[in-house]
Amino acid sequence: MTDKHDTKPLTPAAEPLPPCAAACPAHTDVRSYVNAIARGDFEEAYRIARESNPLPYVCGKVCAHPCETQCRRGDVDEPVAICALKRLATEKHDLRKGHAPGLSVAEPKQDKVAIIGSGPGGLTAAHDLKRMGYQVTVFEAFPKLGGMLQLGIPLYRLPRETIEIETAPLKELGIEFVTDKRVTDVDALLADGYKAVFIAVGSHVGRKLRIPNADLPDAWLNTEFLRKVALGEKIDLRGRHVLVLGGGNVAIDVARTALRLGAARVGMTCLESCTKQPAHPWEIAEALEEGIEMFHDRTFKEIVAENGKVKGVRCVKVNFRGFLPTGAPDMDEFPETEHILPADLVIFAIGQGPDLSFLPKDGSIAQTPRRTLQVDPITLATTKKGVFAGGDAVTGVGFIIDAIAAGHRAARSIDAYLRGVDPASVQPPEPEQLGDLKEKTISHIRRLKREEMPILNAETRKGNFDEVYLGYTETQAVRAAQRCLTCGAGATVNAEKCIACLTCVRVCPYEVPVLERGTAEVAVDQCQACGLCASECPAKAISMKLYNDNDMIKDIRSAVHRARGNGEPVIVGFACRYCAYAGEEPNVVKARLPKNVKTIDVLCSGKVDALYLLKAFEAGADGVFVAGCLVGECHNEKGNVHAAQRVAYVKRLLDEIGLGGARLEMFNMSPAQCADMNAAVSTLLTKVKELGPSPVRRA
Amino acid sequence: MIKAKQKPITEIKGLIAPYNNILVLGCGTCVTISFAGGEKEVGMLASALRIAAALEGKEQTFAEATVQRQCEWEFIDAVADQIQRADAVLSLACGVGVQALAERYPDKVILPGVNTTFLGMAVEHGVLMERCRACGDCILGLTAGICPIARCAKNLLNGPCGGSQNGKCEVDPDLDCAWQLIYDRLARLGQLDRLATIMAPKDWSKDFDGGPRKIVREDLKL
Repeated sequence: MTDKHDTKPLTPAAEPLPPCAAACPAHTDVRSYVNAIARGDFEEAYRIARESNPLPYVCGKVCAHPCETQCRRGDVDEPVAICALKRLATEKHDLRKGHAPGLSVAEPKQDKVAIIGSGPGGLTAAHDLKRMGYQVTVFEAFPKLGGMLQLGIPLYRLPRETIEIETAPLKELGIEFVTDKRVTDVDALLADGYKAVFIAVGSHVGRKLRIPNADLPDAWLNTEFLRKVALGEKIDLRGRHVLVLGGGNVAIDVARTALRLGAARVGMTCLESCTKQPAHPWEIAEALEEGIEMFHDRTFKEIVAENGKVKGVRCVKVNFRGFLPTGAPDMDEFPETEHILPADLVIFAIGQGPDLSFLPKDGSIAQTPRRTLQVDPITLATTKKGVFAGGDAVTGVGFIIDAIAAGHRAARSIDAYLRGVDPASVQPPEPEQLGDLKEKTISHIRRLKREEMPILNAETRKGNFDEVYLGYTETQAVRAAQRCLTCGAGATVNAEKCIACLTCVRVCPYEVPVLERGTAEVAVDQCQACGLCASECPAKAISMKLYNDNDMIKDIRSAVHRARGNGEPVIVGFACRYCAYAGEEPNVVKARLPKNVKTIDVLCSGKVDALYLLKAFEAGADGVFVAGCLVGECHNEKGNVHAAQRVAYVKRLLDEIGLGGARLEMFNMSPAQCADMNAAVSTLLTKVKELGPSPVRRA
Repeated sequence: MIKAKQKPITEIKGLIAPYNNILVLGCGTCVTISFAGGEKEVGMLASALRIAAALEGKEQTFAEATVQRQCEWEFIDAVADQIQRADAVLSLACGVGVQALAERYPDKVILPGVNTTFLGMAVEHGVLMERCRACGDCILGLTAGICPIARCAKNLLNGPCGGSQNGKCEVDPDLDCAWQLIYDRLARLGQLDRLATIMAPKDWSKDFDGGPRKIVREDLKL
């Protein structure tokens, strides 16, 4: 028998991803960009968010954000508002620096690739392939780019300027876009010199139920209706009584759009119960706020009409349990519950599929029984060599981020295919995900209310297509980002240095470290990254993943350098982001500080190692302060208490060596007192001036 | 474990005053656990000494290193190069480590940065207490597991003395009287009758009074 240790891989497996990144089909590094926002570094946040996603502006507004559903903050109180944070990062980004600052582009290659469809999947694949150097042409059947972003998503959710911001740089990148060009012959593209084709035509064909009168002029289709509105066709629904059949997200889009076109009354009806309705709960809530009526638990027998005019829909109450594998609903009809829901316009929103009429008639590009494209799930290769497909045309209606992930996957496959490599070999394995938080850990985590998204009120918004969500302010975003538990980015123990002194076990406010096999272990899925263990470890055996001593010492030197110049004493402050600025925008507070005072932001003053205080003086600071929360209000229970103890210890040391402990101060402040930071700094400045310049100043 | 306390920095400054290139050498075992001489303290002390040197306009440099145990030849030899480059080594190990360095590097100035203080334990985080005097003749079996040699100011074998007041020692009102502790624990164990036996004087020759002690395990010698 083989010893199980012998079967261990030589290289350690990749670290498990935090649930947000694991849940994101594109595995966006959510934790890092949220952390950058929490530190106030919005440009860095944008850079990270852009790295894995060429459409961050769009996703910041309309991503279905499966990341939030998985967010472990949700086990404590409510998930981190990740989507809104991505939006803020895009809004703060200076587009003059380019849409994708720092992203590399390879030397041009000769091979041409055709992409059919300019939705999120097509745009992503085009972006990636162009970056790899390929000659990329995107064919779009409609006059405008964006696919369902352009033709499906209502303007009140996604203003079209947002799509323009995303597509303009793709044109600059050198991708050729051919609009108003419906591809009708894939083989012709291959014959025309395109070495590979990616089909990303989306799901633009709505479906009707086969019930009597479904073909009347006032029985419309979801996709056609939304597309006409999106393309600017004038549709007047004033005085109309609209009933939308369906309960999903598209149905909600249809209902809210109808309302905005002047409909007098809009209702929605679906098979599902109130709690099982497939649309996102927040979409349902917003629709209800706008006065849209919901009729659940119903199946539809016919569209009732008189003289060709729709009068309503004959319904029967059901207990819907889901769809059977055949696609038929699994339900019982309740006897004697037949009734008519009145309406003069019915819009079907019960699903949609791709238009695959352009596929070769010889069946060389196979379809599934569900009438979607058949692909290898790993490589996205269709049954025709050199032809790949992804997005809604393969999966049926999915999320934007699913299509983006498919675009990335297709680009990797196509590149491999064109290089003569097996496309399956270039696809990364599905990542592992961090485990759940334990109840004990949760019990120690400070509850923090989710920031409410500023939103137009229902009365203001329902009569127009103005964007409903207004986006966070900078201060809100920082607060919202600070709720992130930075899952998996906490402490790591260097077992070779650890001497099992138990310090980490004793100081951790979350009771995470344990002694295993003679050294400390910090469970990666429980650690809250407060940093207390790292800053207290006497063996320097613990480091934090998102920052380390060397980073901090560099920041300290840089702060000392930047504070110099005007002959005033150099003051370096370590400011806890949770409290030191929470009442105001950090940059505003910082701007109010004298130029000779520079702050280094930390997430909890407990991260300020006593060594950092000395390093600041060693680098030439004349004065140093630590600004932490009021005692009892620390994000990490007692990080600020430890910080204060360290400050007191180093003050004594400074007195002993003759530099003067009065040059160092701890400020404990509540968010409401943030204006006091200036006052506290002034007091310190006065003391430092009395003591004179530090003789340690370096050139 | 051996517990130590860093020397006052003014004393350290005096010790290193004649030297320019100083290696601050930590020890990764006992003194690390007593927060006196591990890698963290090496960094702190070196930084403080750099500041102090700058204050006095001295051209001193401070290198930093920490070995796993300064009381083993193999571990100290791992930093032989750094030791050789230094004018003086400021050792943050216990007295054993300092002497090991001095013995191994006979031409090098080796200076102590800590006061080796006692054998003890952390009774709470950051609070270290003496528990053992290494007397060489353990009597804990007779005293309910509480050592009157280490914990009674008078090292009484037949206590308590008249200075025991409300369970505290007259030397320090915060200090428990060891004999009160012994009495209480014997009572708990139902062994109070042991107090009726007068303990004979201890064999102090096994303590330091017999000169430096040595343990030899012939069976283990190489």
